[in-house]
Amino acid sequence: MARVKFLCDADRCIECNACVTACKNEHEVPWGINRRRVVTINDGKPGERSVSMACMHCTDAPCAAVCPVSCFYTTADGVVLHSKDLCIGCGYCFYACPFGAPQYPKVGNFGSRGKMDKCTYCAGGPEADNTPAEYAKYGANRLAEGKLPICAEMCSTKSLLAGDGAIIAEIYKERVMKRGYGSGMWGWKTAYSDSPTG
Amino acid sequence: MKVFLAALAFAAVVAVGTAIFLGGIQQQSSSAFSTSGARVGDPGNNLMVPG
Amino acid sequence: MPGSLSTLKVLCAALALLFVVAHPAAAQLSFKPTAEAVQEDKLLNALKEGDKITGRVSIPDKMSSSLIQPAGRDWRDFQRSTLPIIGGVAIIGMLAVLAIFLMVRGRIRIEGGFSGKTILRFASFERFIHWLTASCFIILALSGLNISFGRMLILPLFGPEAFSTMSGYGKWAHNYLAFPFMFGLVAMFLIWIKDNIPGKLDLQWIKQGGGILANGKHPPAKRFNAGQKGIFWIVIIGGVLMSLSGWYLLFPYIPGDVTTLQIWTVIHAVIAMLFIAAMLAHIYIGSVGMEGAFDAMGTGEVDLNWAKEHHALWVEEEQAKGQAPSGTAPRGVPAE
Repeated sequence: MARVKFLCDADRCIECNACVTACKNEHEVPWGINRRRVVTINDGKPGERSVSMACMHCTDAPCAAVCPVSCFYTTADGVVLHSKDLCIGCGYCFYACPFGAPQYPKVGNFGSRGKMDKCTYCAGGPEADNTPAEYAKYGANRLAEGKLPICAEMCSTKSLLAGDGAIIAEIYKERVMKRGYGSGMWGWKTAYSDSPTG
Repeated sequence: MKVFLAALAFAAVVAVGTAIFLGGIQQQSSSAFSTSGARVGDPGNNLMVPG
Repeated sequence: MPGSLSTLKVLCAALALLFVVAHPAAAQLSFKPTAEAVQEDKLLNALKEGDKITGRVSIPDKMSSSLIQPAGRDWRDFQRSTLPIIGGVAIIGMLAVLAIFLMVRGRIRIEGGFSGKTILRFASFERFIHWLTASCFIILALSGLNISFGRMLILPLFGPEAFSTMSGYGKWAHNYLAFPFMFGLVAMFLIWIKDNIPGKLDLQWIKQGGGILANGKHPPAKRFNAGQKGIFWIVIIGGVLMSLSGWYLLFPYIPGDVTTLQIWTVIHAVIAMLFIAAMLAHIYIGSVGMEGAFDAMGTGEVDLNWAKEHHALWVEEEQAKGQAPSGTAPRGVPAE
């Protein structure tokens, strides 16, 4: 079975935020929740690089390990999802996540920050696939329709790749070979410790 | 015994009072992170599971 | 003239081609834009302990500017490996010590037996503040331990839905009972600080081990002995640390930085384990451990013999003030 991953080729990312907009539109994500975001390093200086970051769906996900109520699960494809019915909104996953993926609907008074939300790899949640109940809680389920995450599909420069980890790693390596440089597979060493280079 | 029960009652009252007060000053992420540049209408309630 | 124009074009093209071919780096790109650029592995290697790779974001939430924070991995190890060891050693260790102490020493009895006469030890407002803080502490401790260890110990017993519901209520209780706890803590400090200043007498008491292991040994003590003063300061200092760290966890956008929040959670968790262990000892000695002790907080009136054995100097002070029943007539009052 394919083990799906995300790979952002920072040398192609132009910070257009199409990935962010596509995600927001596809799942009707409210303002204030940032499932995907673009971070720009060395902004304005030579060597400025932008990276599109969301949940990396880690192997041995730290969020799942620290959750006090064990509301996370990993699918057969390697997608890390969680149940909003079991989530108590304690925020532990946010401390553990290396990528800042967990988002909360409210800000102050930690106790009532609400249920955690994050990138689902467009794979919905524990509710039945492609039902209104699933959409209301977790957003669209494209994977169940055989499609890839919309952020990568909409990427204007094809810098954000999503799909089988081995395949996208291969694509990236070809690019690096051809052009002679690459700033790295951002987040792979941290997220996929079992196969950091694909 | 009376003192003990009074203490429990006082704790409950303060806790509930705090909950009401803090709930009142609680902010949705959509309003907390609004800026003058972003004109946010109704942000919608998708993905917001109560609790 | 058309002929000379096309010839000119060809000549220009040839010149350009010559220039390109003749250029030393013509075989590949001469300018590699990423030569100076950021490389993920270089940035990761350059990170110091607890540091993170950050950048600029257009999102108002400043916490989103963190791109990769590897310290999250260490925090996970702390929660799942280190903390259970600290908690286990502190709490289970303390329970074991108390059990052994009870078996070996037994319940500390009033040697002279109950006298039937009592002396007021704690007024009702003092008992109120104590029970306010203590009952909040119990719920805070249990709900807090549930967050750290509930998944391991309780989830298998109740199943995910029931456990989540229970933990959700526990979280509400934890977050809101913190406030009456903090109130009680401040009140306790104000009403009891004057009797809890350490002194020379406490050193003597400690040197004699509080007389706790042998019958018949009662190093003198005033209102509070050194052990009790120790508990007072553990509660105040521990309570302040728990309150401060807890405050930042309650309002995460005050620090607004994940690394700072991680530090506060570590302080909150470690102090909690030690605090709970200390309170188990306090609860023990005030209930099972010592005959006549519970009355102090229960009714406020303690047996006079108990008081004379454990707080002899305090009894004398109270009798001098005329606040206590005594076997002799009040001093300084003439016979008629």
